[in-house]
Amino acid sequence: MTQVLSLRDVQFRRSHGFALRVPSLDLAAGEMALLSGGSGSGKSTLLWLIAGLLRADGGSIEVAGQRLDAMREGDRDRVRARSIGLVFQTHHLLPDFTAEENVALALMAAGEPERTHMPRARELLASLGIDRPGARASDLSVGQQQRVAVARAIACRPALVLADEPTASLDTDSAHAAMEVIQKACRDAGAALLCASHDPAMQARFPRVIDVRGFATSEVPA
Amino acid sequence: MNDLRVVLVSLKARLVSTLITSGSVAVAVALLLTMLSLRSAGFEAFQRGSGTTHLLVSADASPLVAVLNGVFYANAPSNPVSWEKYGEIRSSFPYEWAIPTLQGDSFRGFPVCATAPEFFTKFQPAKGEPWQLREGHFPEKNFEICLGSDAAAGTGLRVGQKVQLTHGAGSEHGHEHTEFPYTVVGILQPTGSAHDRAVFTDLESSWLLHAFDRREREGIDGKPTVADLTDADRKITGILLRLPTRPGSDGSAAIQQQFDTLRRDPAIVVAQPAQQIDRLRGIVGNVDGIFIALGVAVLVSSGISILLALYNSMAERRRQIAVLRAIGLSRGRVQGMVVAEACLIGLAGAITGVVLSLVGGFAAAAVLKERIGLVVHPDLDPRSAMIVLAGAVMLAALASVLPAIIAYRTPVADNLRPSA
Repeated sequence: MTQVLSLRDVQFRRSHGFALRVPSLDLAAGEMALLSGGSGSGKSTLLWLIAGLLRADGGSIEVAGQRLDAMREGDRDRVRARSIGLVFQTHHLLPDFTAEENVALALMAAGEPERTHMPRARELLASLGIDRPGARASDLSVGQQQRVAVARAIACRPALVLADEPTASLDTDSAHAAMEVIQKACRDAGAALLCASHDPAMQARFPRVIDVRGFATSEVPA
Repeated sequence: MNDLRVVLVSLKARLVSTLITSGSVAVAVALLLTMLSLRSAGFEAFQRGSGTTHLLVSADASPLVAVLNGVFYANAPSNPVSWEKYGEIRSSFPYEWAIPTLQGDSFRGFPVCATAPEFFTKFQPAKGEPWQLREGHFPEKNFEICLGSDAAAGTGLRVGQKVQLTHGAGSEHGHEHTEFPYTVVGILQPTGSAHDRAVFTDLESSWLLHAFDRREREGIDGKPTVADLTDADRKITGILLRLPTRPGSDGSAAIQQQFDTLRRDPAIVVAQPAQQIDRLRGIVGNVDGIFIALGVAVLVSSGISILLALYNSMAERRRQIAVLRAIGLSRGRVQGMVVAEACLIGLAGAITGVVLSLVGGFAAAAVLKERIGLVVHPDLDPRSAMIVLAGAVMLAALASVLPAIIAYRTPVADNLRPSA
């Protein structure tokens, strides 16, 4: 099966001493995996490294067949725009933009033709049950905001979706419902999903669970 | 969705700040353009008054003084020109017209200009704008006066009223020529020149007035008649000369030739009013520069307000910038959006400023004409407007450099954390 994510001996060290070493991590196309571990274990850091938002101190990171670690920042931005979708715990929608504009922003960043932005955004939002695509993001309920965030993440048909604690602030039922939305959207889009969550209840929803605590170390050389 | 839309939504999200900042640019641009516009219009207004005169002859100390006295009524000319000299000059060249003037008297501080009927029929106070009467008629007989619009407003005189002139210019407490009452026969429309402050009468009346004083000193009783006037009584203080020109043209090569010819006469001073007014413009140019510098300073301060508005907004926009970067926009593109925001604020302000300056210029012109009789035609020079527009946008772009650097350096991962 095609690998959409491949990490080899990735090393990262923060100035305050926290360090991460990932000897090996692969994710196949369409695969869904959960990154587990407590707060501060390095889940988010690992996601940002994969997304190219943080630069690794060593090792290789390959997403959709492209070596991010060997790229200049601008090229990493392009790969992120076209091949990686991001879902955040607090959604991080732009509150002054409408729901469809938030989704269209991702299409704009990916360089999709402008005429396709709004039709695609509306189609996605409709498929996720958003019936007010023209409403400002700040006027939507939390649940609706999360759906819009998911729509934004999969808008460009990415090979990989990275979700950082998407259910952290929800009660158990809502968390399962939210995760269902993300997983279904990824399945429908054919995207692999790597989801960071400290919630043990989420582990049952994923065929593969990766414990990030095994990656944390203080022995990464400078 | 495109970058411009993102910028516009960002501006709209901070509407109050955007409007205030843009408004400060608008005020600065309007101020600068109005100053530029009124500056040129003001100097054009200075050119009014000399009107269709090509050459001004007097016995003043210098050509500039001749113009200040003869055109702007700054002071009564100190030395007279004899009537004989007037006749000599008039017959020396086929002038289109040669109009004598005599200044020296006043009425309630307003200068009196005694002159010939051609002053009203041939001389125009501004090119293409002949005298017009608000009421009454021009002086036709002796001891009739016609008031400039400001003089009429300042004295409150009406047609039909009788007045007595004062010996000496600008003095309200000088010797009054009580023996010769004048009748107000006309009030002129504003001309936008210094003539609006003048009181006009005929030469003979003034000569008779002063002949009376002379005869009184000589012990001769009774009012003089024209027959009693001597050559010494028939004096003037200025001659307005116009040379023949081709139809549709105001200039003639003969003007300079005749100027050179007349200036060889040591008894007179000859001036080309337009040249002297340009000299005056050169003299006061530095003051003018200060006003322009003030306008530029206001514009720069508006640039600083753009900087502050954007800088202050950067703290709350770090997350937005981080999100835009996270979805794949490059640092440069986000930085460009911040610069574009500033440029749009500058451009919107500058365009509003141009409109304001036009509206304000016309409003100011109306007030100036109404209040002080100064006629200015605010005219927005497209070149100046374009320079100021470009300057405002460049200034805005410059003001955005620091916020753009902040946007460029915004750490994405740190600002995406829930606690950020």
